[in-house]
Amino acid sequence: MINELAKNTGRFFVFLLIQVLILKHLELGRFINPFLYVLFILMLPIRTGKALVLFIAFITGLTIDMFYNTWGMNAAACVFMAYCRPWVLRVYAPKGEYDASAKPTLQSLGTPWMLSYAGTLVFFHHLVLFFLEALTLSTFFTTFAKVILSGAATLGLIMLSQLIMQRRRQ
Amino acid sequence: MYGIIAFFRRNYFAVLFVALEFFSLYFVFRDNYYHQAGFFNSANSVAGSVYKTYSGITGYFNLKSENERLSEENTRLQNALSALPDTSKHVKVPKTNPYGDQYNFISAEIIDNSTNMISNYITLNVGKREGITEGMGIVSSAGVAGIVLSVSDHYSVAMSMLHKNFQLSAMLKKGGAFGTVVWKGEDYRYAWLMQIPMSEKVTPGDTIITSGYSTIFPKAITIGVVEEVTPLPTEYFYKIKMRLTTNFKKLRFVYVISDLTKKEKTDLEEATYKANNEGK
Repeated sequence: MINELAKNTGRFFVFLLIQVLILKHLELGRFINPFLYVLFILMLPIRTGKALVLFIAFITGLTIDMFYNTWGMNAAACVFMAYCRPWVLRVYAPKGEYDASAKPTLQSLGTPWMLSYAGTLVFFHHLVLFFLEALTLSTFFTTFAKVILSGAATLGLIMLSQLIMQRRRQ
Repeated sequence: MYGIIAFFRRNYFAVLFVALEFFSLYFVFRDNYYHQAGFFNSANSVAGSVYKTYSGITGYFNLKSENERLSEENTRLQNALSALPDTSKHVKVPKTNPYGDQYNFISAEIIDNSTNMISNYITLNVGKREGITEGMGIVSSAGVAGIVLSVSDHYSVAMSMLHKNFQLSAMLKKGGAFGTVVWKGEDYRYAWLMQIPMSEKVTPGDTIITSGYSTIFPKAITIGVVEEVTPLPTEYFYKIKMRLTTNFKKLRFVYVISDLTKKEKTDLEEATYKANNEGK
């Protein structure tokens, strides 16, 4: 339990620093803005209380907002994503239930599961984030293109970091 | 009463979700309409020191190009200086900088900057201790860069010119027509000059400078160069695409402009306003 807490706290800081120091300054044009930090929320243990996940997501989003000067946008997106998480977990549950030892990772539940789980939640997160950033529907297609392209980039980075973590463990 | 408690116990997840979402959206909309840059931004000591440490490391990689830029700026200023007539023999010149006693330039380093959002911000390594206050203008050696929004003891956050709410009174160097510069969240190299009447003659390549109407920027600081002129026949104005002279991706060293007469100006305006209201 304490081990789990330490691991997740460490992950929080690692993803936070990667996000605000490296990914924020990637120069891939205005359509591709990956937000890898959401993987921290995705990787919280399956059995974490859903209200706790909501609260952790809120704090994580606010911290990112502080560095991005986006006041509340990432918090809103993360809270929405955390609200959808129990539902997404249930939809993609392998036959019956998750094992007691199952973790929301590529290593534990496999590539197809991770792709659909992360893909769905990343899409919800980016949808809220980019439409709040635009705060208008007049640029609907541009904003939606950002959601899709940035979402694909985020998902790619998530799978890549999952592979790296898996390799490190072996 | 028990009914309410039972409702919250049954729906605690949804209630917490709505509450947290409400808080977040409250921040989003408050910021969008009032520009209230509070404590919770990158000017605070946590975010500021993280960015400062990191830019201290990455700064070394740009030393060469930074030196070249500085030497270019020096050459340009030396040339401008030698082109000035020598007036020291005839008149007493009390000026210490080209703008006389009105403006003071404070040098600053950018420790964080973005260009790919719709609202971009610049974090600077100077704050209250260096005399920075909200509303001061920021210029690079090439042109206008932004406006300070929020200040802490050691850091400040500025609205970049690349911000959807950025507006700046500007004029065409040739002809002197006044307009407004805005950015619409597109390419970081271009902005738009609006409200230039179609009676004016505008050609690509014309320089656009600050008008000096506000207390933020002195007059005649370069903003950009006309790239493309489109007439808007229904509105009698041109829509002018301009190339910004400041390269926001390479921005690192800037000057914060403090207008020493600003207090005098605003005090006078306030006094006039008060006197007018008392008279009524």
